[in-house]
Amino acid sequence: MYGGGNTFEGIKTDSVAQEDPAKLAEFEARIARGEKIEPTDWMPQLYRKQLIRMIEQHAHSEIIGALPEGTWITRAPGFRRKMALMAKVQDEVGHAQLLYSAAETLGKSREKMIEDLLSGKSKYSNIFNYPTFTWADCCFISWLVDAGAIVNQLANAKGSYGPYCRALDRICAEESFHLKYGHHCVIYLASGTAKQRQMFQDAINRWWAPMMHFFGPSDKISAHTEVLMRWKVKMATNDDMRNQFLDMYVPKIWELGFTIPDPNLKKNAETGKWAYTEPDWEEFKRVINGDGPCNKERLEVRRVAEERGKWVREALKSPKTAYVTPLA
Amino acid sequence: MNSLDPRVNRLPAIGQPGQILPKAALDQLGTFEVFVQPKDGKPFQHEGIVHAANRELAFVLAKEAFTRRFLCTSLFVADTRHVYVSPTTEGNTNAMDQLAEVINQPGTAEAYDIFVLPKRGKQHVHVGQVQAVLPQEAMWKAKQQNLHQGKVVYNVWAIRTADIRFTTEEEKDLWLTLPEKKFRDASDYKGGDKLKEFLERSKTT
Ligand SMILES: [Fe+2]
Ligand SMILES: [Fe+2]
Ligand SMILES: [Fe+2]
Repeated sequence: MYGGGNTFEGIKTDSVAQEDPAKLAEFEARIARGEKIEPTDWMPQLYRKQLIRMIEQHAHSEIIGALPEGTWITRAPGFRRKMALMAKVQDEVGHAQLLYSAAETLGKSREKMIEDLLSGKSKYSNIFNYPTFTWADCCFISWLVDAGAIVNQLANAKGSYGPYCRALDRICAEESFHLKYGHHCVIYLASGTAKQRQMFQDAINRWWAPMMHFFGPSDKISAHTEVLMRWKVKMATNDDMRNQFLDMYVPKIWELGFTIPDPNLKKNAETGKWAYTEPDWEEFKRVINGDGPCNKERLEVRRVAEERGKWVREALKSPKTAYVTPLA
Repeated sequence: MNSLDPRVNRLPAIGQPGQILPKAALDQLGTFEVFVQPKDGKPFQHEGIVHAANRELAFVLAKEAFTRRFLCTSLFVADTRHVYVSPTTEGNTNAMDQLAEVINQPGTAEAYDIFVLPKRGKQHVHVGQVQAVLPQEAMWKAKQQNLHQGKVVYNVWAIRTADIRFTTEEEKDLWLTLPEKKFRDASDYKGGDKLKEFLERSKTT
């Protein structure tokens, strides 16, 4: 869940009832003290399950998220932009590697996660199921989708699971390049010709709805997440993260003279909260469940890559190495 | 496929769309732990893992995965199965105090590299080398030699030095190219002047 929009499993009230109460109390006390949980520490089954799910979704989002931008490398305007975009896409794939490793420390192998991605069992950020028609769409992702991801990742970096936090610290350091690069691209479009400006305006118009979906369903309708917040798995509610994003980036979009396709978008000066038209959550659900414009293509690209890489893995395999769970 | 990307349309027909078979155990690459030294004189620190078919490839992947940017003078990798791990402690309990006394083992002593976890939530750092026959003995010696400098540490790792793939002297220039890679840095994307100029211009029109 690179963004929010992460789907958690429904939590039943008895989910932690089978756990040893003394161990559970100790575990919760450690989190309350602000200490990190490490892979060898005792943890409730539910914590392990939800963390695997969340980190895995985040990893898939990085690897799938590299596709709509990666497709623009050969067509990026000029050598400088090509170099930068290549570096950024490489970073995103690297983020997936770091995140898969963090999830692996909880006992699920990377190959199993990839299997679950390809079979549709596990999800990734909804926003990457939309196509990048023009260079401006690619710039929208580099600047604003990454901005959204940063809001989310900075929050999660303060979570309770040690390996995930360490991966996020590395990732956030690289994201500052993505954000600066993305903004740089957009400033160039904004201060360019009328046609360039129109291109970016069109991109905003296309991407605004998916961007609002990015942080996940409204708190009013999203599943019960109290226990996940108490365990510092989820660090902020979807609406809070969406609000933080709007607060930081809507003024920057307006500053460049662009408009946002939502007549109800405005900040309430008293509460500091942004008002907006309620996103279409039915569409969100439909796309996340496989029926978006690019779902099939994204998974097919990964599946074919996996199939085509098979002979390489076979040629390299050696009984001397073995997959084992990473240490930290 | 009917994609905007011509390369996607050209993907070969291979296997069944939407179908992926579980991998055989041997089709999965091995796990290697990666340690990086950011600067000369600084200790090596655990950075994470890579999956690779062998130690040499693990070294190459580790360089790409962990040292594309930011300073690095050296890195090394070791098979995860070659890392001997002590129990993890918490609070004021020193992991060094939990070690069993293992001394005078029969056999030839070899070098072991020792790592400690100075704070929960942080990474393991390299604290030195000892000579021992067994990894348990290496840990005990690390404690006797006070490699942790009397500080509370929460976990100890021992790796037989012979099992580590180090960076060789000739390979150290791997990282000399970093200054040419400014395009990977946020500092290379200063849009402020252009933005200011644009805002001035839009004010007057
Ligand atoms: Fe990323
Ligand atoms: Fe991104
Ligand atoms: Fe990014």
